[in-house]
Amino acid sequence: MHSRRYVVTAATALVCALFLTARTAPAAPADRFLHVQVSQADKDGGDVNVNLPLEVAEKILPTINRGPLHEGKVTLENDQLQGIDMPAIISALRDSPDNKIVTVRQKDENVDVSKSDGNIVVHVHEAGKEGNNVNVTVPISVVNALFSTEQKNQIDVAAALDALDKAGDTFLVTVENTSEHVRVWIDSHSQPQ
Amino acid sequence: MLLIGKIALGMVGATVAGAGLLCSEGFVDVNVVQHRDSPPHIHVIAPAMLAPIAIRLVPDKKLARASQQIQPWLPTIRAALDGLRNSPDLTIVEVSNSEEYVQVAKIGGEIVVDVANRDDTVHVSVPLRALDSSVSALASVSPGSDEAASF
Repeated sequence: MHSRRYVVTAATALVCALFLTARTAPAAPADRFLHVQVSQADKDGGDVNVNLPLEVAEKILPTINRGPLHEGKVTLENDQLQGIDMPAIISALRDSPDNKIVTVRQKDENVDVSKSDGNIVVHVHEAGKEGNNVNVTVPISVVNALFSTEQKNQIDVAAALDALDKAGDTFLVTVENTSEHVRVWIDSHSQPQ
Repeated sequence: MLLIGKIALGMVGATVAGAGLLCSEGFVDVNVVQHRDSPPHIHVIAPAMLAPIAIRLVPDKKLARASQQIQPWLPTIRAALDGLRNSPDLTIVEVSNSEEYVQVAKIGGEIVVDVANRDDTVHVSVPLRALDSSVSALASVSPGSDEAASF
C-alpha cells in the first residue's frame, strides 16, 4: 500500500517537474531568414526567390574582404555622409514620437519619410504608368547598428544584420511597378509564406 | 581450414570496413535526362569520398589555377557550409521562367541542384561534408598555402 503511494507521489512530482521545466526552459532561438522575391508580370521574365538563413549571412559577411567591404564594415568613400552626425540623428529619432519626418511633393514623385512603431518608413511614389512604388521599412535598431562604428566614414553591415536577426518579422523593401514586383523581408519561415 | 576461415573473415571485415569508410561521407548523385532525340540517360551515384581523392590524383599543374582562385574565398565557403550545415532544409535559390526552372536547395545535409528546361533535366546532389572535403583538397593543391594547411 505504501509502495503504491510512493509511486503515485513520485509520478506526480515527475509530471510537475517536467511541466515546470517546459514552462521555464528558455526557448531555443528561432532561425531567421532573409527572403528576396522578384516576380515579373511578363511570363518570359521569370521569377526569382532567394531564401537565406540570417545566420549564414552573418557568418559569411565578416569573411568577405573585397572593395569597400572589410570585416562586415563598408567604408564610404569621398565623404558621402558629408559630416552628418548619423548617430545623433538616430538618437533623436528614437526618442521622438511617431511622426512624418519628411514630405516631398513633386510633379513626378512623392516622397514620405516617417517614424512608425520603432521603424523608419520611406514611401516613394513615382508618377506615370511605369512609375515605381517603393516602400522601405527599417527598424531604428538596425539603422542604429549600421552607424555604430567609431569611424564616421564606415557603416557596420554585420552589426545591422545582427540587429535584424533580433528584430521582429518585417518587410524591409517592396518595389512595385507594372512589370515587376520585388519584396525583401525577414521572418522565421524557411520558405516564403 | 580454421586458418582459411580466419583469413576469409579478415577479408570480409576489411571489405565491410573499407566500404563503410568509403560511404561515410554519403553519395554524390548526378542524374541527367535529355528529352530531345533518342535520349542518353546518365545516372551516376558515387561515394562522395571519391571526390577529394580524385582531386588529389589530378596533377597539381592542372588544378593550380583553380586552387589559386579559390584561396581568397575559402573562409567564405567554409563559413557558408558551416552555416548551411546548421540550418534547416530550405530552398536557397529558385529561378523560373517559361523556358527553364533552376532550384538550389539544402535537403538533409546535402546541396541539391535541379535544372529543368525543354532539352534536359539535371539533378545533382552533393553532401555538404563532401563539398567541404573537396574544397579543402582543392585548396591544398597550392603549395605553401596557410589556408590549406589549416584544414
